[in-house]
Amino acid sequence: MLDAQAYFDRVSGHLPGDAATRAASLAAAEKLGLPTRRQEAWHYTDLARLLGMAADDRIDAIDFSAIDPLMALFEGGKLVGKPAANGLTLQPFEAASAGDDAMRNYNAALAQDGLNVEIDGQLARPLLITTSGSNAMHLHHKIKLANGAKAVLVDNHMSAAYTNARFDIALGEGAELTLIRSQQAGHQVNLSQVELARAARFKSVALVSGGALARYEAQIKFKAEGAHAELHSAVLGRDKNHADFTYEIDHQAADTSSNTTAYNVLDYASRGVFQGKVIVRQDAQHVDAQMQTRAMMLSDGAEMDAKPELEIYADNVACAHGSAIGELDRDALFFLRARGLDEASARHLLVAGFIEQVLAHIDDTALADVLRGLLAQKITAQFADAEAA
Amino acid sequence: MSALLEINNLHAGVDGTPILNGLSLAIQPGEVHAIMGPNGSGKSTLSYVLSGKDGYEVSNGDMLFDGRSLADMAPEERAIAGLFLAFQYPLEIPGVTNMTFLKTSLNAILRGRGEDEMDAASFLRLAREKSRGLGMNDDMLKRQLNVGFSGGEKKRNEILQMAMLEPKLAILDETDSGLDIDALKTVAEGVNALRAPDRGMLVITHYQRLLDFIKPDVVHVMAAGQIVKSGGPELALELEKSGYGEFVGETVNA
Repeated sequence: MLDAQAYFDRVSGHLPGDAATRAASLAAAEKLGLPTRRQEAWHYTDLARLLGMAADDRIDAIDFSAIDPLMALFEGGKLVGKPAANGLTLQPFEAASAGDDAMRNYNAALAQDGLNVEIDGQLARPLLITTSGSNAMHLHHKIKLANGAKAVLVDNHMSAAYTNARFDIALGEGAELTLIRSQQAGHQVNLSQVELARAARFKSVALVSGGALARYEAQIKFKAEGAHAELHSAVLGRDKNHADFTYEIDHQAADTSSNTTAYNVLDYASRGVFQGKVIVRQDAQHVDAQMQTRAMMLSDGAEMDAKPELEIYADNVACAHGSAIGELDRDALFFLRARGLDEASARHLLVAGFIEQVLAHIDDTALADVLRGLLAQKITAQFADAEAA
Repeated sequence: MSALLEINNLHAGVDGTPILNGLSLAIQPGEVHAIMGPNGSGKSTLSYVLSGKDGYEVSNGDMLFDGRSLADMAPEERAIAGLFLAFQYPLEIPGVTNMTFLKTSLNAILRGRGEDEMDAASFLRLAREKSRGLGMNDDMLKRQLNVGFSGGEKKRNEILQMAMLEPKLAILDETDSGLDIDALKTVAEGVNALRAPDRGMLVITHYQRLLDFIKPDVVHVMAAGQIVKSGGPELALELEKSGYGEFVGETVNA
């Protein structure tokens, strides 16, 4: 972790927005300090310790040409490639004011840039945000979908540097956003705040295939009836990779639904964390909230922490959570070997099949195939390294 | 002609517990042998020992398949050599489509034999032809492997794999269990279609019923880890009448 004050003193003259507001955010952040394990939301993620670990800098190029995306390229924390399309309005970046937790305050103080975009109508091509660069970066994106708008957003993290990223997402009535995420390396603290208006739909599918720290926090707020959110995550962990998905899903309105799945394949000394809190407010009748965590442990040194939580104040709701943690199925392995697959291929197929249950939530087949390709590469590399070790 | 499968005085067990106690058996190419026996006689153990499942240890005797000793071969090497086990309880593998599985399996076996892999179009044609032959619709190829399949569909799927892989020796482990009469007929027709002069089959079953549809050349009775009697198809009918009591020597479990 960088020395934030020194960094701020050096760059603040070049940062957009009001310097005094930023200084106040930084002071607030420094006063709060990095979150510690004593805070519930960070109980399984010791941020200070993880930020001191080697970044895990294995980054494979991903070929997105099959989906012909609109490109938003962030290099070293600045938007250097701007997307342009019908129905897409790019606004200038706006610095945020101070928030109530340290990571948000650091982001408010230090964010150089972010994608500030408004989408109207159906965006014909997926919008690809690629983040790369070798220096620490703070990004604050604002994604707004007008009533009835529809878009696919890809958040492709390609940096091994420390990244504090924030996504503010507002979905208008009947708007539909699909957010696909990939992280392969580095240290990332990522916060997504999503507000859904009546009948809006939000779906995120994240693939974490490496990184010393992948912390994805999501705060989902259902503001009106009929809205639906899905959050699906897949983790392929090796070495000391640490992947943490922490959700607060707040059903403030009736007839809203949420569906969460978290699949972790954990090898070596990697660790997976899932914290899913579902809140159903008193007036939010007929809410359907489902949560599923599954982990496949490939090593005795790996660890999975799963903490689903339901906080229900309404009396007519359907909420459920389930958690299953196990090893690679020996019988399935034998079945595949009895059909001619060598042990490495059989293990590969079982791991890929496990994660496929998350990738299957991606409706765009070409886009899903891009991530399937990346996953296959990562599994192959992981097993090849295990073989060599 | 030398035997396709020759088992001599086989002693084997699992986790140190002996289950097979000196079993001998020889199957010639083109023959269908049935092994019948009460629960716990070691029928399924035999199928696992032959196919190389982890934890099943051979302590004595030998198993020669096409003249090669099976004991030192990995399960995948046995499959590549042409041995096929139709599982009693086919595994469900979520996230892997039947099609992907079949293609991976067939190509692994072709590669293992030093042959070219099958291209996607030829594979698709073959898979469709074979599955339609078994009365399966194309949808079953797209579904996840055995996930949500009925008992009959799973067993039919095992026979589809057998039809695709064209093994030299197929071991059918209680392929009739859990099937109603219609499903049993379909599966049996699939098996019969695969009978060939150069292919052997070992049909393991608890009940005579399956053998009404798959006519064996030789019937063996297994008890306490040994073959205790062998004969023609009429032996199965006898057993159906008299039960296994004569062979287990104690009380008969109904």
